[in-house]
Amino acid sequence: MRASINWLKEFVDFSLTHREIANTLTMAGLEVEGLEEIEGDTILEVSVTPNRADCLSIKGIAREISSILSLPLKDVAVTPLNEEGEPPSINIKTPQLCRRYASRIIRGVKVGSSPQWISKRLESHGMRLINNIVDITNYVLLETGQPLHAFDLNKLAGGCIIVNTAQSVNKLLTLDGEERALNSDMLLIWDKEKPVAIAGVMGGLTTEVTSSSVDILLESAFFNPISVRRTSKTLNLITESSYRFERGVDIEGIVYALNRAAQLILETAGGKASKLIDKYPKPFTPKQIHLKLSKVNKIIGINISSSEVQDILGRLGFKNKKKDEEEIIVTPPSFRQDIIRDVDIIEEIARLYGYDKIPPTFPVVRLQPVGKNIRRGIIATIRDSMRRSGYSEVINYSFLNPAVFDKLRLPSDDKRRDMIKIRNPLRKEEASLRTTLIPSLIDNVSFNIKRGEKSVRFFEVSRVFSHSGQKLPEESMRLAGAYLNMPLSLWQGKHEGFYDLKGAIESLFLELRIGDYSFTTGDICEQYLHPGKSCTIKIGSHNIGSLGVLHPAVSQAFDITGDITVFELDLERVLSYIPADIIYKQLPKYPYVERDISIVVTEDIKVSDVNSAILSVSSDIIESVVLFDIYTGHPIPKGKKSLAFAIRYRAKNRTLTDSEVDAMHSKILNVLENSFKAELRS
Amino acid sequence: MIEDILSIKTLAEEDVKKADDLGTIQSIRIKYLGKKGILTDRIKSLSSIPKAERAEYGCVINETKDYIERIITQREEEFKTSELGTLLKARHIDVTVPGNFVPCGHNHPTSNVLEEIIDVFVSLGFRVEDGPEVELDYYNFEALNIPKDHPARDMQDTFYITDDIVLRTHTSPVQVRVMERDKPPIRVIAPGKVYRCDTDVSHTPMFHQIEGFMVDEHISMGDLKGVLEMFIHAVFGANTKVRFRPSFFPFTEPSAEIDIGCLICKGRGCKVCKNSGWVEILGAGMINPRVFEMVGYNPESYTGFAFGMGIERITMLKYGIDDIRLFFENDKRFLEQF
Ligand SMILES: [Zn+2]
Repeated sequence: MRASINWLKEFVDFSLTHREIANTLTMAGLEVEGLEEIEGDTILEVSVTPNRADCLSIKGIAREISSILSLPLKDVAVTPLNEEGEPPSINIKTPQLCRRYASRIIRGVKVGSSPQWISKRLESHGMRLINNIVDITNYVLLETGQPLHAFDLNKLAGGCIIVNTAQSVNKLLTLDGEERALNSDMLLIWDKEKPVAIAGVMGGLTTEVTSSSVDILLESAFFNPISVRRTSKTLNLITESSYRFERGVDIEGIVYALNRAAQLILETAGGKASKLIDKYPKPFTPKQIHLKLSKVNKIIGINISSSEVQDILGRLGFKNKKKDEEEIIVTPPSFRQDIIRDVDIIEEIARLYGYDKIPPTFPVVRLQPVGKNIRRGIIATIRDSMRRSGYSEVINYSFLNPAVFDKLRLPSDDKRRDMIKIRNPLRKEEASLRTTLIPSLIDNVSFNIKRGEKSVRFFEVSRVFSHSGQKLPEESMRLAGAYLNMPLSLWQGKHEGFYDLKGAIESLFLELRIGDYSFTTGDICEQYLHPGKSCTIKIGSHNIGSLGVLHPAVSQAFDITGDITVFELDLERVLSYIPADIIYKQLPKYPYVERDISIVVTEDIKVSDVNSAILSVSSDIIESVVLFDIYTGHPIPKGKKSLAFAIRYRAKNRTLTDSEVDAMHSKILNVLENSFKAELRS
Repeated sequence: MIEDILSIKTLAEEDVKKADDLGTIQSIRIKYLGKKGILTDRIKSLSSIPKAERAEYGCVINETKDYIERIITQREEEFKTSELGTLLKARHIDVTVPGNFVPCGHNHPTSNVLEEIIDVFVSLGFRVEDGPEVELDYYNFEALNIPKDHPARDMQDTFYITDDIVLRTHTSPVQVRVMERDKPPIRVIAPGKVYRCDTDVSHTPMFHQIEGFMVDEHISMGDLKGVLEMFIHAVFGANTKVRFRPSFFPFTEPSAEIDIGCLICKGRGCKVCKNSGWVEILGAGMINPRVFEMVGYNPESYTGFAFGMGIERITMLKYGIDDIRLFFENDKRFLEQF
């Protein structure tokens, strides 16, 4: 709401500077967001919260200033009009949607342009100039907050007004030249034959006041806020009028606004005003609210006396009567429809008392255990673990473009394609909610490659969304990561993305004390991964995610050169496998014996298979098997590789003898020869 | 006789002085003190000396032996020390080559600030709660005293899934969910992602909020001021200016917005604070009795406060970040600064 300081001063005489008045209003809840100097005046840009419909006018803001500064509010008195002739006939068919309708006819006006003092004010308050009649309705709207409408009387069939819903009428041409599609329950203004306006939103084109109009009919009414809002939303048409009606206009100010407009029209456009008609079937009955002083002080945290409270209420124009030492009966004025219960009055008291004067205190409470959010704690651990492994956290929007699944080569029946859709997305690329974090991470890597980055390690922890069969979707946590390296330092050894990410995941499992995990091939892994450089991640026998180098076709689809390794884990599953307690195992009493074994096998033999074959030879005395070398090249024959393991032997109940260990070691060699055609490397 | 010993001593001194490596000094030891050494030879012949002279002669031989032993050992040590020195010098490393370290990753700045804020409230005994991001209209609006067809709905542009399901526009629905489940006293904070159908230079369609609320038998607005001032001083520094001004939220009454003195210009006025010297960082208020009624609390028995803040905004002020879109671009050069 724009408000001219000069105009405000017609209603309240304050001597504060522009900055001071802006600050005063801001600190009382009417935030002044800007000050604009214009020729001979200053305009305040006031942000009016939705509860304060009464401040959507110059008079309303002036009233607020008078309350805050305890200054008298001047009213612009309307001199009694010289009435001549009968008023129009008004028929309200839907009194629940139109609680009051007042009108006068003004005959013999001279339509033209407005005098300068009106046009200047309208322009500085963002109003378009039409003609003197329409401009005056807008002027009074700005001044009083009451929207008015002027019809050309001679274009109204029967010269009368009927207030009724649209029913079977389904369109109306409005003042802006648009044909509006109507719903049957929208409230309209009709003449004897046809609809002539969308009540409270916009007038119709056929009855508009033009330069040839001579007689006009003025409307000042109260339309139901919800009805106006629904109509305005459905039509996607917000006007100065609908904005005020949906917030609630002052039902007791309707006749004043009508008379004020009639007076200005007679003064500037001439003509004769008819008698007043005021259809007001159920007049406003003021609320009485019982206010307890102790509650005022308890909620605000101050110690205010009832006379101070009464002083504030008086400044606000709230009628009040002290019932006893503890209770005041308050009657809020008709323009404060937002005041419904005692706390609403308490807010008004706090506001005028000054929030800055409320002393800050600390609540006194009973000591009670906080109750740890265990899930959050684990997720924090996971984030820390990834970070320590060298991965930086990214945060992406939860939106996803469904087209990305084709780039990822996901099968057409893949569940992740079945996303939750947003009905009103900002862009069609952001029309659905993520079912996987992988595409966002690929985008993040690609974004950084384009900026010249050669090495990227990212992870994200976030929710994904899927249909649950319940009312709300299922939201579950995912951890995903991506690795890109174009090596900078060959002398430190080659970093393979796969093993880097695998190491990070293993380190994470170690930190979470999850032991029973494996990285397996053979299952159908993700279609977006390189078939030879990918695996399924399992805990026990459950798939919990996947890890691998992006399929070259996917990299190409994302316009990426170079290998990106990615992984995604279902954190809900991971969380369910975290052991609750640590149980101590006794330290071994007897020493171990360590022997190395070095074998040559064909290249397709998997380390993990050899490893578990060795362990399976004896669960009693083989304590651990650790791979310490993989070698290919001279003198190992082509197509073969050498694997070297350190095997640690230990018995629980005795010191092992050399001959026991020798026997076990050769048994292992036998098993490896039989299972993998392994040869002992000499 | 004694002259003979003294001349051996002189010869040994000269030999030791001339020796130039450890090998030579070891052969000098053999020459004089070895099994067949010159001095050893003299000791052996001691028995053939007349008794009267033997004592004095023996004494001189022993002193000489000790003396030669001492100068040989001393020289030997000198050679050993210098040889080790040469050896150590030959085997040096370049300490300026970069170490083999795994560079630590970085937290997203939003996470940093989120965790910092959570820590402050957890230290005051607030519990951390979560709620769904895809939320029923009832929890996001209705139960918070924002009925359908109310102009207050315009305060938040909403993404709709269906008529009754929305992407939560704030973390406030967690208030309702927690209060439906638990009885007072309650102290809770609820961090998380929220969504607004809105994008421009200063808005992103997704951002993070923290909701906090406290319900007990006699919580006042003074308590709200005390707790939030403490929080602001903890996060922005003890000298940060704070002001509370009236505002409107349907689910609080009275409502407040909280500004801090602009950290960029120290209150002199700049682009960030639109020349006002103040920057809004929190919305808050006393929980509206209407909300208590919706969750089945008796509004005459309980009072409480609630507050909400946008984390990206606070992060921007804290680190001097001037573009909110940086938070979701995930530029490595940006992320690595935190
Ligand atoms: Zn500033």
